[in-house]
Amino acid sequence: MAAVKETIDQVKTIDVDQYKYGFETNIESVKAPKGLDESTVRYISAKKGEPEWMLNWRLEAFARWKAMTEPTWAKVHYPKIDFQDLYYYAAPKSTEGPKSLDEVDPELLRMYEKLGVPLKEREILAGVQSTKVAVDAVFDSVSVVTTFKEELKKAGVIFCSISEAIREYPELVKKYLGSVVPQSDNFYAALNSAVFSDGSFVYVPEGVRCPMELSTYFRINEKQTGQFERTLIIADRGAHVSYLEGCTAPTRDENQLHAAVVELVALDDAEIKYSTVQNWYPGDKDGKGGIYNFVTKRGDCRGHNSKISWTQVETGSAITWKYPSCILRGDYSRGEFYSIAVSNGYQQVDSGTKMIHLGKNSSSRIISKGIAAGHSQNTYRGLVSAHRKATGVRNFTNCDSLLIGDKCGAHTVPYIEAKNSSAHFEHEATTSKISDDMLFYCMQRGLSEEEAVALVVNGFVRDVLQHLPMEFMAETQKLIGISLEGSVG
Amino acid sequence: MTIAVMKTKAEQALTEAFEVNAAKLPGSTAVSEARRDAIGKFSASGLPHRRIEEWKYTDLRNAMKDTLAVSVDDAVKVTIADVIVALGALAHVDAHRITFVNGRYRADLSDLAGAEGIEVTPLAAALRTAPPKVAAGLTAVGAAEDAVITLNTAFMTDGAIVRIAPEASLAKPVLMVFLRAGAEGRFTAVRNVISAGEASTSTLIEAHVALPGASLEGQMNALTGLTAAKGAHVTHIKIAADFGKAVHLSNWDVTLEAHAVYRGFQYTSGQSLARNQIAVRYDGEGGKLDLSGAFLVRGTEHVDTTLVVDHAVPRCESRELFKGVLDNNGRGIFQGKIIVRPHAQKTDGKQMAQALMLSPDAEFDSKPELEIYADDVICGHGSTSAELEEDMLFYCKSRGIPDNEARALLIESFIGEALDKVEHEGVREALSTMARDWLSAAEKHK
Repeated sequence: MAAVKETIDQVKTIDVDQYKYGFETNIESVKAPKGLDESTVRYISAKKGEPEWMLNWRLEAFARWKAMTEPTWAKVHYPKIDFQDLYYYAAPKSTEGPKSLDEVDPELLRMYEKLGVPLKEREILAGVQSTKVAVDAVFDSVSVVTTFKEELKKAGVIFCSISEAIREYPELVKKYLGSVVPQSDNFYAALNSAVFSDGSFVYVPEGVRCPMELSTYFRINEKQTGQFERTLIIADRGAHVSYLEGCTAPTRDENQLHAAVVELVALDDAEIKYSTVQNWYPGDKDGKGGIYNFVTKRGDCRGHNSKISWTQVETGSAITWKYPSCILRGDYSRGEFYSIAVSNGYQQVDSGTKMIHLGKNSSSRIISKGIAAGHSQNTYRGLVSAHRKATGVRNFTNCDSLLIGDKCGAHTVPYIEAKNSSAHFEHEATTSKISDDMLFYCMQRGLSEEEAVALVVNGFVRDVLQHLPMEFMAETQKLIGISLEGSVG
Repeated sequence: MTIAVMKTKAEQALTEAFEVNAAKLPGSTAVSEARRDAIGKFSASGLPHRRIEEWKYTDLRNAMKDTLAVSVDDAVKVTIADVIVALGALAHVDAHRITFVNGRYRADLSDLAGAEGIEVTPLAAALRTAPPKVAAGLTAVGAAEDAVITLNTAFMTDGAIVRIAPEASLAKPVLMVFLRAGAEGRFTAVRNVISAGEASTSTLIEAHVALPGASLEGQMNALTGLTAAKGAHVTHIKIAADFGKAVHLSNWDVTLEAHAVYRGFQYTSGQSLARNQIAVRYDGEGGKLDLSGAFLVRGTEHVDTTLVVDHAVPRCESRELFKGVLDNNGRGIFQGKIIVRPHAQKTDGKQMAQALMLSPDAEFDSKPELEIYADDVICGHGSTSAELEEDMLFYCKSRGIPDNEARALLIESFIGEALDKVEHEGVREALSTMARDWLSAAEKHK
């Protein structure tokens, strides 16, 4: 009950727009000229001091992108994006390679403090926070700081910005970049491949269990910019890593584009757990502004007995277009997808997963909970397929939708393709509203309607919450309460 | 992006066949105009292909490369004994019979003696005299952009117009037999228009069967438009059992008025390619729908069931259960969409699709969809696919039942759950017999 109480308190303290990360930070920045052509790609590559092969890779992606058209199959509606009216690169002026935290713009540090993201290792060590989390903070187009690098290095784990990885570990990057999401995979992935500015790189060597949670914090600050980050995580044989990403942006009237690509590679017996708490600015109560979140996330269970688990909590963004997927290539590999998608106001969510079973006896599990309130549209779209030769495959899918109010919509679009007889596929989906009986029961025991709704909703999503790292569970519960604020009555 | 696509041989042939046969197709000027309009639309769209979302799993352009001679004025000799042979187990069902051979009404093979509360008119006769308004009613069915429907409008030769009088309660089912006969394969299009009057009770059966010895090839395009008026109870069954390289394209377009109760069932077997499209729309509150089906697939057969249930008004109920048995390289497809429109509160919808795969090479693709815009609803769907459970088989065998019998028993009980949805005992028995025969033939087929 304490959590519910806290949720309500939290709700009360937030401003009218109900988005507490809506502040803007005044930081001088360097931007690429507006618009997109080959010179923009060259500009970004040069800014990053990239080797020739990387530039060529980008140019190839750009050439492919030019020939592609925007996908229109998702159940989302938005005015056509003018890709020439965007800045593709923005970086805080003073952060051209800070050597230590002391060199980072104090304004920037204050911002992260405000967001509750710990960037100071000392504080963490002093026991201010109970668990250690290494953070890579990405501000607009560049990674500003990565914490706990030294300690991770001792364990052999590489955790740095992708720009640094391109410079320092070109062999690893060359081998894995684009191997899960090829340059021409889809419109937004191609765009990202051409203009990605930064992101995180993780390599966990053979047999190593990453000693702490890794985390990236994305922040869009600059106006009219698109953010295109690229994350690449490789877990070598028998390695284990848990990774969390969080995102926020200032409140703005315009729509901003965020097109990220995340690639995960798990080799034999490796395990990657990837959690996302996405809280981009969702637009105001009339649907003005907000982030367009067009993201390609895919994990490749390349090795025997490997495992990739996606957990996502989607509460932000005006439009979400995101399908974290698993290619279950290895025999006995395992894919998991746990999702909570909350939409309110005029948000549009089209999200889900793909479980592509190629390996024998691979298994997957999908638990998706969609909550639609206000005028929002919430769609689950997913694919489960078993290749002809992938025998002994198992999948269980459960997607439940909860509707709050009669102006919203909840949709389920699953594709289930069993190409051999030994595949055991089970799929179930339900849509319902919070039953009056449940609310009545709670209210009769002294809870207000809003408290009762928060309680029921948190119960509804519990299956998924359990799969989040401990530290973020409480935070997420609050987030859900906040996102639904104003949806009752 | 629009890409100019080359017309396939079949598309070209169908457009040309229309020009050749236009004068022979029955209909008044208004009807001919509607036909010409339809073929124009078809010519522009072509056959549906996998790039069209609804046809993702059934690429008709690829599967129907050739078209057969269009059936008009067919005069194959068929006797009543032939009809009984073709009907097989269904012949035992005591029913009023309306028979069509290669898409043409045959009064000599029909028997409507003693039928009360029902009026049957052959479509061809109605089309010939149809004034513009009636013609518009006869030709405007279903989604106008659907290529299969436009082809039906262009080429329909006959069918049954059935009117069930208000408050009539039909003692016997009405059996509409669509017989494929003759040594020459035909492309046949038929259309039925059924209206069940207020508070009437009726059972309608469509049987698409072939005469033994008929050509191995045949292409059927059948469309049934059905309206159940206020409080009407309608049971509607379609049996499509063929052989050889038969292609069966079917559309049901059902409208339910307030408090109408509609029980639909479709049985499909022996079709080389079948696409069963069902669209149900609620037009008044309190409507009830129970839609189910069984499909038996083997060899390289391909059976697709695609349905859309549109809850456009509040307080309606829908239930769907479709079960398929897939053997050899057979492919089963189920696409089921439940739409709940804004304001359609208190909707109760449930859908289930299940496939049993008997061979490692079988394939089942399922896409159950929910599109919900109202909050006070209970909707759910499920989809499963699996092979026979070893544990169950073991249980049977440990009780002394031989392997093949145990398998047959389990398959029968699986499909039986769908067949049990058929309330008419005679029809249910006939379907069970047909399913059993299919299973024993499956053994031989191996």
